[in-house]
Amino acid sequence: MALLTGWAAFVVGVATIACIYGLLTLGLNVHYGYTGLLNFGHVAFFAAGAYAAAILTMPPPSTVTNASYTVGFNLPMPWGFPVSLAAATLVGGALAALIGATSIRLGTHYLAIATFALAGVFSDVLVNEAWLTNGSFGMNSVPKPGQAALGPDRWQLAYLAFSLLSLLAVYLLVERVLDAPFGRLLKGVRESEDAAKMLGKNTTLVKLKSFVIGGMIAGFAGGVYAHYIGSVVTAQFVPQVTFTVWAAMLLGGAASNTGAVVGAVLVMTFEESTRFITTVYDWMQATLPDALSGLLPAIFGPLPNNPSFIPSMRFVIVGLLFVLVVRYRAEGLLGDPAEIEALGEEEGSE
Amino acid sequence: MGADNSTASADATTGDDALLAVDEVVKAFGGLVAVDGASFDVERESITGLIGPNGAGKSTLFNCITGVHGPESGSVRLNGDEIQGLSPTEVARCGVGRTFQTPKTFRGMTVRENLAFAATNQTGERALGPLLQSGTVRSEEHEVQTRVDETLEFLELDHLADDYGSALSGGQRKLLELGRVLMMDPEIILLDEPVAGVNPSLTDDLLRRLEELNDHGRTILFIEHDMDIVMQHCDRVVVMHNGTTLASGAPDIVQNDERVVEAYLGGYA
Amino acid sequence: MGLDTFLQAVVSGLIEGSVIAVGAVGLTLSYGVTRFINFAYGEFLTYGAYLTVFLAGGLFGVSLPLPAAAVVATVVVGALGVAVSRTFFEPISDRGALPLLITSIGVSFILRNLLQGWVGVDARQLPIPLLRRQDYFGLFRLTHLELGVIAASVVTMLTIHLLLQRTMLGKRMRATSGNRSLAKTAGIDTTSVIRQTWFLSAAAGALAGVLYAVLFSPFRPGVGFEYLIVIFAATLLGGIGRPYGAMLGAFCIGLAMNFGSTYLSANYTRAYAFLILVGVLLLKPEGIRGGEF
Repeated sequence: MALLTGWAAFVVGVATIACIYGLLTLGLNVHYGYTGLLNFGHVAFFAAGAYAAAILTMPPPSTVTNASYTVGFNLPMPWGFPVSLAAATLVGGALAALIGATSIRLGTHYLAIATFALAGVFSDVLVNEAWLTNGSFGMNSVPKPGQAALGPDRWQLAYLAFSLLSLLAVYLLVERVLDAPFGRLLKGVRESEDAAKMLGKNTTLVKLKSFVIGGMIAGFAGGVYAHYIGSVVTAQFVPQVTFTVWAAMLLGGAASNTGAVVGAVLVMTFEESTRFITTVYDWMQATLPDALSGLLPAIFGPLPNNPSFIPSMRFVIVGLLFVLVVRYRAEGLLGDPAEIEALGEEEGSE
Repeated sequence: MGADNSTASADATTGDDALLAVDEVVKAFGGLVAVDGASFDVERESITGLIGPNGAGKSTLFNCITGVHGPESGSVRLNGDEIQGLSPTEVARCGVGRTFQTPKTFRGMTVRENLAFAATNQTGERALGPLLQSGTVRSEEHEVQTRVDETLEFLELDHLADDYGSALSGGQRKLLELGRVLMMDPEIILLDEPVAGVNPSLTDDLLRRLEELNDHGRTILFIEHDMDIVMQHCDRVVVMHNGTTLASGAPDIVQNDERVVEAYLGGYA
Repeated sequence: MGLDTFLQAVVSGLIEGSVIAVGAVGLTLSYGVTRFINFAYGEFLTYGAYLTVFLAGGLFGVSLPLPAAAVVATVVVGALGVAVSRTFFEPISDRGALPLLITSIGVSFILRNLLQGWVGVDARQLPIPLLRRQDYFGLFRLTHLELGVIAASVVTMLTIHLLLQRTMLGKRMRATSGNRSLAKTAGIDTTSVIRQTWFLSAAAGALAGVLYAVLFSPFRPGVGFEYLIVIFAATLLGGIGRPYGAMLGAFCIGLAMNFGSTYLSANYTRAYAFLILVGVLLLKPEGIRGGEF
C-alpha cells in the first residue's frame, strides 16, 4: 500500500485538522463573537466529545493491552460512527450546560476564570478516572470508520471529505440560526445585558443556550477528531488548544463565521508547517554553495538546541498573534470593525 | 382626567384608574435608606413627572419598580397585580418599558437591529426556530421590520437606520432607547431623565413625541429635573424628597404646595 | 487517622496557604490599579523559580546562596513586570478591560514558551538538601525550609501592609485603585503608580514562585500557568482587588486543598480550591461579581 507521501500527505493532514479546528472556532465564535462570553475552557467540550466517541466505540478492555478502563461499548462501524458523533455532540452540550448552569451568571472576567478553571478540573478528572478514560495512557484503539475497506490513503482523503462536509454543514447551520432573530438576541445580550433584561429578554437563558450550542459544536469536533486520530489521550487536551482556537477566532475576526473558518485554516496551517522548519533548514544548508555554508549555523547556531525549541516558538507566535491582533486590528481579517470596537468597550455606568 | 380634581397630598390617593400604584416602598443599601416609604399612583393614559433634588431616590425608585432592586417593604402594583420582587425580565414582560439615565445602546449593532431586538415574542429568537419554523420566522420578521420602519419614522431616525449605535450622539441614543421601548409595546413607559444632556432642539422634539404618544393612549412616567418641562408637559407631578414622596397632584397645585416649595422648589428661586 | 493527621493537614494547609497568599496578593494588587485579570501572572512565578535555580546553580557564572538568589530573582522579575506592562499593556490601556485580558493570554504564551524554548521541558529543582521534619510540641512536624517559607510569607505580607498603609506609594496606589481619573486630577502620576504596582505585583509573583519551588520541586516551565487556578481561587475568594481579602482567601484555599487531599483524594487538589470558589460565587454572587470593584 502506497502511503500518501510528501506534500500531499501534509496538505491532507493539515486540511483535516484545520476543518476540526474550524468547527471548534465556529463554536467559540458563538460564545465570544456573538454573545460576548469569555470561554477560556473550550478544550473541555472538545475533550468531552472526543472521550464520548472513544468510550462508545473502543473495543472491550479485555482485548486491549494496558487497559485500565472498564467500559468500551464497541459500537460496530459504520453505523456506530454517526451514533458516536451524535453522542459526542450531546456530551459536549451537556458539559456546557453543566458548566454554564454554575457560571453563566458571572460577570465577564469571572466567567473567564471559571471556565478556565473548570476545564482544568475536567482535565484532572480525565487523568484520574482511569476506569472510564484509561487515564493518561489514553484510549488508543478508537476505530477509524471505513479504513479497513478503503485502505489508509483513500481513507485519509475520504475522511478529509467528510470533515469538509461536516464543517460546511455546521457553518451553514450556524449562519442560518445566527442570521435570524436569535443571532440578534445573542448580540444584544453581548452589548448590554441590562438593556436586554429591561426589554424583557431572559438573558441568563440566552447565554446558557449560546453556551450549549457552542459546546455541542466543540463536542462534535471532538468526535470527528477522535475517529480521525484513532486515539484519545489526555495530553492532547491542554489549555493550549483553547487558546489556539482563540487565536484563530481573533485572527479571523470575532462575530464572523467565515472569519472563524479562515482563521482556523491559517493558524493550523502555520502550526503544522513549523514541523518542517528543520527539513527546510537542512535543505537550505545542502543547497547553499560551500562558500556560504557557515552562514546558517552562524545565524541560528546561538539558538538553544533542544527539541522543544521549535514547538515552543510556535506558541510564542500564537501569543504574538493575540497581542498584535488586539492592538492593531481588533476586528481581525474579516470582522466588522464597528461591532468589535463596541465589544471591547466596558458597559456604561450603571 | 383624574389629574384635574386631585389635590396635593402626601398620601397616595388610589385612583380608580391607577395603572401603576407604588405603595410605601422602602429600599436601603447597607445602612443608607435610599427610598423611604414612597407612595404614588400613575393614572392610565397620563403623563406623570417624577421630580426631586439629586439624591432624592428617584432612580432607585425606578429600579425598585422595574425589578433591578427588590424593595425591603412596600408594594408595586401594575393593573392591581403585585410586581415587586419580580426580576427585570419579568417586570418588562408584564408591560413595563424603561429607559436609563445613560442610554444602554447596543453599540455594536445598527439602529435597525437595536429596534428589532426589542420586539416581543419572536419565534426566530428560539435557537431552533430558524430551522424548524422558517416560514413563521420570516413572516414575523417582516412584521417586525415594518414596525421598525414606523418607529424610525416616528422618531425621525430613518436616516440613521443602518448606522451603528456607537456612532450616535447622546441625544440620538436617548431617542433610540425610547424607540426600543416602543417596539416592546409596553403598558407604561418609564423614562429616566429623557432629555438630560440632549440639545434643546432635540429636547423639544422628544417632548413632542412623548405628548404624541400620550395622545395615542400611552401612559408615561418620567424623571426630570427641569421644572418648566415638568409643569408644561405633565398631567400629574410627584415630588420626591429624601426618599419619600412629598406631594403629588396637578402641576399648578403641587407647585404651590408649601412643603414642596420649602423642600425643593425654593432651591430654584 | 486521628488528631495527628488532622493537625498535619492544618499545618500543610497553612504552609501552602502562605505561598498562595504571596501570589494572590501580587495578583490582586495589579488588578487594583489595572482593572483586568492578568493571565500572564503565572509566568512571573515560573520566571522567579527558574531564575533562582539559575542564579543558585551558577548558570550566570556565579553561584549565589539560595536566599540571595531568590532576592535577586524577585527584583529582576519585578523589573520584567514593568517591561511587560510598558511593552504590552500600556499601549492599549485606554481600550477597556477586555483587550487587556485577551492580551494577557498572549503575553503568557510568549513568556512561557520563550522560557521553554530556551531551557527545554526538563524538570528542574532548587539546590536544597532533603530535610527531615522536626517535631514541634509533639503536635506537628515541619522542616526548617517550611518554617522559612512561612516566615518569608509573613514578612512579605507585613511589608505590603506597611507599604499600603504607611507610604506615599501606598496612598497613591489606593487612590489610583479607587478612582483613576480622580487620582489623576488630584495630581497623582498614575502612569508611574501603575508601573510601580506592576513591579510589586511581578516581584510578589516571583517570590511566590520561589516559595512554591522550595516546597514542591521539581517543576517545569508550565508550573506558574498551572498554579494560576489556585491563585485565582484565593484572589476571588477574598474579593479581587482587596489585598487583605486575598491573604485570607489564600489560607482558606490552602487549608481546603490539604484537607481535601488528606481526607478525600490527592488527585483533585486543584478541584478543591475551585469548588470552594464556585460555591462562593453561587452563594454570594453579589459579593464578588464582575464590575463591582
